[in-house]
Amino acid sequence: VSHPAATALLVAVAYYAGANLGLVLRLPPATPSVLWPPNTILTAALLMSPPRHWWRYLLAALPAHLLAELGVFPLTLVLALFVTNCSQALIAAAALWRFSDAPARFDTLRRVTLFILSAGLAAPFLSSFVDAAAVTVTLGESYWLVWRTRLFSNVLTELVLGPAIVLALSAGPAWLRNASRARKTEAALLVAALTLVGGWVFGIVTDSSGLIPGGSVLVFLLPLILLMTVMFGPGGASLALLTTSVIAIVAGAHGHGPFASLPRGDAVLALQLLFSGMAIPILCLAAVIMERRQAVRDLAEQLRLEMLLSRLCTTFLRLPSYEIEGAFARSMRQIGEAAGVDQVILWWQRRSDERVARYTWSAVRGTPGLVVRPEHEFPWTLAQVRVDEAVVFSRLEELPSAAARDVESFRWHGIRSAIIVPLVETVQARGTLCLFTMATERTWPEGLQQWLRLVGEALTSALARKEAEDALRASELSKSAILTSLSSAVAVLDLEGRIVDVNARWVRTAAEAVRPTPAGLAVGANLLHAWQQAARDGVPSASEAAAGIVGVLRNGHKEFSLEYSSRGPAREQWFVMSVVPLDHVDGGAVVSSTEITERKEAELEVQRSRQELAHFARVSTVGQLTASIAHELNQPLTGILTNARAGLRFLDAGPPDVAELRDILSDIVDDDKRAAVVIQRLREILRKGEIQRALLDVNVLVADVVRLLNSDAIIRNMAVTLDLHPQPVLAYGDRVELQQVILNLLINAMDAMTEVGEGDRTIVVTTEATLETVHVAVRDRGKGVSVNGSDRLFEPFFTTKPSGMGMGLAIARSVIEGHGGLIWATENAGGGAVFHFALPAAVADPV
Amino acid sequence: VTVPRARVVVVDDDASVRRGLDRLLRSAGYDVETFASARAFLDRGDYNRADCLVFDVRMPGQTGLDLQKVLVEAGYDLPILFVTGHAELPMAAQALKGGAVDFMAKPFDDDMFLEAVRQATLRGRQPRRTDADRVRPASGDTGSR
Repeated sequence: VSHPAATALLVAVAYYAGANLGLVLRLPPATPSVLWPPNTILTAALLMSPPRHWWRYLLAALPAHLLAELGVFPLTLVLALFVTNCSQALIAAAALWRFSDAPARFDTLRRVTLFILSAGLAAPFLSSFVDAAAVTVTLGESYWLVWRTRLFSNVLTELVLGPAIVLALSAGPAWLRNASRARKTEAALLVAALTLVGGWVFGIVTDSSGLIPGGSVLVFLLPLILLMTVMFGPGGASLALLTTSVIAIVAGAHGHGPFASLPRGDAVLALQLLFSGMAIPILCLAAVIMERRQAVRDLAEQLRLEMLLSRLCTTFLRLPSYEIEGAFARSMRQIGEAAGVDQVILWWQRRSDERVARYTWSAVRGTPGLVVRPEHEFPWTLAQVRVDEAVVFSRLEELPSAAARDVESFRWHGIRSAIIVPLVETVQARGTLCLFTMATERTWPEGLQQWLRLVGEALTSALARKEAEDALRASELSKSAILTSLSSAVAVLDLEGRIVDVNARWVRTAAEAVRPTPAGLAVGANLLHAWQQAARDGVPSASEAAAGIVGVLRNGHKEFSLEYSSRGPAREQWFVMSVVPLDHVDGGAVVSSTEITERKEAELEVQRSRQELAHFARVSTVGQLTASIAHELNQPLTGILTNARAGLRFLDAGPPDVAELRDILSDIVDDDKRAAVVIQRLREILRKGEIQRALLDVNVLVADVVRLLNSDAIIRNMAVTLDLHPQPVLAYGDRVELQQVILNLLINAMDAMTEVGEGDRTIVVTTEATLETVHVAVRDRGKGVSVNGSDRLFEPFFTTKPSGMGMGLAIARSVIEGHGGLIWATENAGGGAVFHFALPAAVADPV
Repeated sequence: VTVPRARVVVVDDDASVRRGLDRLLRSAGYDVETFASARAFLDRGDYNRADCLVFDVRMPGQTGLDLQKVLVEAGYDLPILFVTGHAELPMAAQALKGGAVDFMAKPFDDDMFLEAVRQATLRGRQPRRTDADRVRPASGDTGSR
């Protein structure tokens, strides 16, 4: 009965019916009734509704009151009686609403005691003075008789009818719905038994009045009343009391019952006192029994909650992180059922992507959990949660006015009461656990709140652990994915060189290998020993590989890398092996092996092409030097020819001077040698062959080349000055290639100066050495290099010479870069250009 | 009657060539004096004592052509024979224009060389002529001035 108007109407009807019943139950000579229900009905209505609605019921009662009494009493008395009736109900209800935590409940001793004191005693007592006065004044009846009769009748009615009405309306429907058939049968049987026994005792059913006189009849009724009290609590007690008292009063009104022998007024009084006196302890007993039961239930409930909590904790501790998600769905149900709510929702803000994870459970099977937008719908609640405050309310009215928006949203979603617990990880609120009831309002005992806090902590730690483990797993997964996708074969070694783990490529490489190689061993085998054995068997590069692994495993080397070739099934295969230390307390290393055959072949091809080109360039360079070379050769040839002719002439002229002839022959031999050296140099320059890296003194290289060009310089009226580093300038490289570079730079310098005509026609060649680099500079005083051209100088086919091919500097660059060096050009401060190249310096004893 | 032997001066930076020419000329009966550079020859002075000068063209420092220029500008009119390891037409033209008697490419035939030297020494022993006469030695109006 929720609609206020309907409730008011019901109150009015009940009031009217009660008034009529009371008027019927009046025993002359006094006006007040033996049992007067209207006041109690009004009291019950006020107890069951908040004070702000009271006026409706009082107002509704007025017409009922007038209707019932106007024909019986004068108007003034009727109105006065209405006022006193209302005042009784108001006193009772006000006191209970003021002092009791639940005015409409009779399940604790405190509530029942308060009810007995306020509604049962104080309200009738106080209101009866005015009532008696009104009756006395109006009808002239005895004041004290009226007062006493009204008092006792109202005390009895409040005590017997009050709890019965309240409980019948508040708990009755639910009991009828939920109680088992056996329970209902028990109740019905007890009421029937009570009626039969009561009828018998009070002489209605069996006309045996006075058979057992006095209070001893109670011997037959009290056990049944107690039985109903014990079995059905306050409801049973009040039903039993109401039943028996009605029977007794009806019997008494008809002159039956144990008190039939007394004068009628005394008989009524005796009945009232008997039942009032009996009602008080019976109601208290019912309350005590309820309290005990509640305590036992609470204990059981607490135990159940504790067990669930410990089960949740152990579940989350034991589960791997990827199963926590599923366990959460089950947990929501367990929590919801344990707490007896309609909805459970858990929000959790993930750290990884800032998104909100949501787990829900609904008591109604098959209905989805609530979908809400907390920041829009529940700003106040959210603010509370953020400062680690739980939000608990049994009724929406309990929320403060600041939560108006939240209240509206709760109402819209049909939420009647809720407990919302923040989930706090360290200091940050990361989510909430929300329990809602939709069907009813409910209270949230302190114990349940505490328990939910603990559950919240268990869930929080599980979620935090899951997050941490997910993050870890994600990184492990990505590492493993990287390892798997590598085209290199990777193996992890322990400190001894044993293979601890390999990737898929390593396994495949091992499977594809035609004959077993160290780079294809399975997990558990010792890679280091395998390489060492291979080294003993004379496998090329094996000893370097073994030494490199040892260096990383035992000698703290940071990295080792080795290119090696291996004769594969069809062709020569090339591999690069790299070894790095494993970042692990127990030490170890990671070995990766990558096939580089294609790269290597490409490299070799490039090298071959470069050599061809370089050779071609050398041949063409030498072509430019023909004049100079001719001169270099002509000098010794001239010496040989003239000396030989002179010798012949001396012989023809007569006895020869032997000493003279010996000198001539000696000179001829020297000239032959001189010519041979020129030819040798020429052949060296023109040599076509493999690059031979060796330790070279760049000073010597420069001097040799300058000597080859000497004649040319003289012919072209130029000077070449050497400004060489005093110490040998060591670099590691190919003699022919580097000579070609120097030759090219010198020829370029000469060509540049030829075009500018007379002047300072000196070329200066400088060598310098630092710890890291060797630097060679060729300075000319020609027309210089243009800034624009300098970018493109070293590109193939870039030339400024009418007859040039544009390959000289390009080849020089490829040679220098092939040696790991750099080549560049700058302006000469005094006019002309400077061409530089730098090479990595070599130590005197390269390993 | 002893005709004083003709004297030939050789200037060449190449020692082997220098000694070879020295021997070849001596075998033909000349007095020979050799110098390794133009500077060494100029330092000696007394140039008229030579009946023929044999200069290498390409030498470090002053070339044979430079030397010829110096002598001509100093007023000497000596028969000069150029030998060079690197013959070029412009160079030969310049040498002959400067009054050279011959210009030979190394290596050269010994007979041709000695014949050239002989011709030069013969001319060197004749009375000195002016430049103008020498430019057109075969013409009939030699004494018209």
